[in-house]
Amino acid sequence: MKSSRASLSSILQPVFSLRRPAFCSAAAAPPKPRTPLHLRPPAFRATLSDLNRWHAWAKTQASSVGSTFSALDGGPDSSLLLRELNWLVEDAVEHPALLSTESNAAAEVAIRAQLEEMYELWRQRIEERRPFQYVVGCEHWRDLVLSVEEGVLIPRPETETIVDLVDRAVKSDSELGEGLWADLGTGSGALAIAVARVLGGGGRVLAVDLSPVAAAVARYNVERYCLQGRVSVRLGSWFDPLKDVEGELDGVVSNPPYIPSKDIHSLQAEVSRHEPVLALDGGADGMDDLFHLCNGAASMLKPRGFFSFETNGERQSKLLVEYLQNEMKGSFCRLEIVSDFAGIQRFVTGYKA
Amino acid sequence: MWSLIQKRLCRKIRLHSSITPSCLLNSVSEHQFHYSSSPACNHTAPRSAIGADKNIGLFSSFDAKWRGSNFMRFLSSQAAAEASTSDGLTVGGIIANNWVIYDENESDWKSHAAAIAQSIHLIKKRLRWKKLISKLEVLSKELDKPDLWDNPSHAGKISREHGSVMGKMKEVNAFEQELFEHVDMIKLAREENDAELESESLNALLVLRRHLKEKELEALLAGEHDPCPCFIEVQAGAGGTESMDWASMVMQMYKRWAENRHFRVTVVEEIPGELAGIKVFMLLYHENVFTRATIKVDGDYAYGYAKAEVGAHRLVRISPFDSNKRRHTSFASVAVIPILGDDFSHVQINESDLRIERYRSGGPGGQHANTTDSAVRITHIPTGVTASSQNERSQHQNKASAMAVLQSRLDQLEIVRQAQINAEHTQSLTDINFGSQIRSYVLHPYRMVKDHRTEYEVSDPDSVLQGDVDGFILSFLSSSLDKDIEDD
Repeated sequence: MKSSRASLSSILQPVFSLRRPAFCSAAAAPPKPRTPLHLRPPAFRATLSDLNRWHAWAKTQASSVGSTFSALDGGPDSSLLLRELNWLVEDAVEHPALLSTESNAAAEVAIRAQLEEMYELWRQRIEERRPFQYVVGCEHWRDLVLSVEEGVLIPRPETETIVDLVDRAVKSDSELGEGLWADLGTGSGALAIAVARVLGGGGRVLAVDLSPVAAAVARYNVERYCLQGRVSVRLGSWFDPLKDVEGELDGVVSNPPYIPSKDIHSLQAEVSRHEPVLALDGGADGMDDLFHLCNGAASMLKPRGFFSFETNGERQSKLLVEYLQNEMKGSFCRLEIVSDFAGIQRFVTGYKA
Repeated sequence: MWSLIQKRLCRKIRLHSSITPSCLLNSVSEHQFHYSSSPACNHTAPRSAIGADKNIGLFSSFDAKWRGSNFMRFLSSQAAAEASTSDGLTVGGIIANNWVIYDENESDWKSHAAAIAQSIHLIKKRLRWKKLISKLEVLSKELDKPDLWDNPSHAGKISREHGSVMGKMKEVNAFEQELFEHVDMIKLAREENDAELESESLNALLVLRRHLKEKELEALLAGEHDPCPCFIEVQAGAGGTESMDWASMVMQMYKRWAENRHFRVTVVEEIPGELAGIKVFMLLYHENVFTRATIKVDGDYAYGYAKAEVGAHRLVRISPFDSNKRRHTSFASVAVIPILGDDFSHVQINESDLRIERYRSGGPGGQHANTTDSAVRITHIPTGVTASSQNERSQHQNKASAMAVLQSRLDQLEIVRQAQINAEHTQSLTDINFGSQIRSYVLHPYRMVKDHRTEYEVSDPDSVLQGDVDGFILSFLSSSLDKDIEDD
């Protein structure tokens, strides 16, 4: 879950401040992240014929969806669901190739979940529209495989571009690559981990999230990539837990909530029914957190420090650039709007003056 | 082991005691080859020692000749000498006998020998044996020139080339020697009713037969890029549903074929057909319906084999999509692109020449959508070549995979361009024209698959569509080999 939007967080701040000790005392038992399916031991057995029966059933389920979901709310169609089914097999079955062979039907196959759970997982995917990434407990993002679960926003393909933008900035100014960066509203830790991997050996990243579940999952992912020494996860709202590094940041990245509140109810079922609303809802026009981030970045970044934020598209990107140019005149320079691969003006980048 | 060798040795000497003058030369050349220390011949080492003992007794007067400055030339002139059994049976002789070649499991020495002779014949053909002999003569003459080493770099080149030609010839000669040795041994064993020796030699013959079958295949796949992995691309012809269905069947055929060969198959690209209504129905059959699809096939000689499939494939059947049950003809084009290794100088691609798009995107994207679809299409603007990928699980990986396809397509274009400059290759390239019809699959009114290039045919289309394409591939490769030789 992302940090709540600024207006809300300012109201809630005292509450959270009061509750923080409670979290700390519970720190002995922080939320324990779920192990993604593909990392579980192949401890269960099913006969090939039983597994094939499940597979045939799952295919029929996927095929019967047709284009209903996509017509309804832009959800997945059959071909996409069938591809997801292949990936589920890939993650759940120790030797997935066995399924397509004409081996002995009575042969036993090692799987990472009970067959009953496999039925249940695919039923959830189709009937409840549970996001595929929650079903298998992971999201493939850039060259990473990140653990995700309910309560943590599933990183979007578009956001991968922010890492390319950071890479470009670091290549043109190697000092940035040795500096201190922050990923605000880190969620699964995707940006923080990927940014740490494009920074130089001396670069470090502070990953911030308000949600204890997200922070725990981000920590788990950081450990999986052995980046504990270079990425630290801090619990809190936006820049609040970064007071000790004010004016010392070389870069700030964020994919903050940016969907206008009124649009939340009409989102695709996978998103609206299952993903954390606080990671999505950006206030009345969706820009509350983006403005808050710009204000914070002005005081947190070093001169010549870099920032890149994701937005809802052309309108928000333009509004944000206007805001930076007019309301925050003189704070930033070299502002730029960058499009995603769908041609939508998705990112705003710039440097602290 | 040693007693066995001794036993064989005694018999061999007895065998050769009835040697005729015409065979002397063969024995000499055998001896000569075994003296050399080519790693390829290491497996024959123990036997060669025996051969040496035997020959030294008989031909010690030749010793002086073998040493000294004439050594190389002597060696060279003998490399081409035809070997034979003790009673004068040669490879050509075996082939002329037309012995029936049975299955490997049949313990029939004539069948084994015939199979081996055929493999040797094919390998020699591929090596262009006669040309090789004259090349060796030229190189030997060069080597004999007294002023050769005045130019060390030229001398080095000649001597390396000479070594390489000798190596190739020696390898084949060693196979012949081995064949005749086993055949002689079997004959001897029969004369003496030695069942143990006979079965042992028969077994050795079988091992040689299998080994040579592999070598023969390697000889078929001697093209520069043959060992590479490759992309196989199937494009549906005009005709909507029916031809897209056919393209899916063709792709399925190659997936099965590759899996049977234990190649690794990855689906890279599937450009879907615009068939909203019928798509779901067809999905039940094929999972994916496309106008163009690309798979990556990874494994030894994947390109070498698959390149035989390039061209248009024609299907004749009663279409399941035609309510009037009429007969339809559909086409699917197959292209095969090698994935060249790092040692190949790839076409340089400038980042600024690329347009990278989210493929099949729609809607506002970002946090609005949760989709596992992160398909990417890359267009190389100067050439208009495109590549896409959608089966990877992240956009980053799809991009990398589409880039790999794009790189190979651009490399392929460059190869074709180079070949057009180099007129020698133009002919073979037009032979594998993307558009030319290479094979028909007829399901109605009769059932047959026929290759128009080789006339090879199979009366069971189902087995072919299940991936049993090797017969077609091998017959095409051998026939194009024959054509190459005739062109010489």
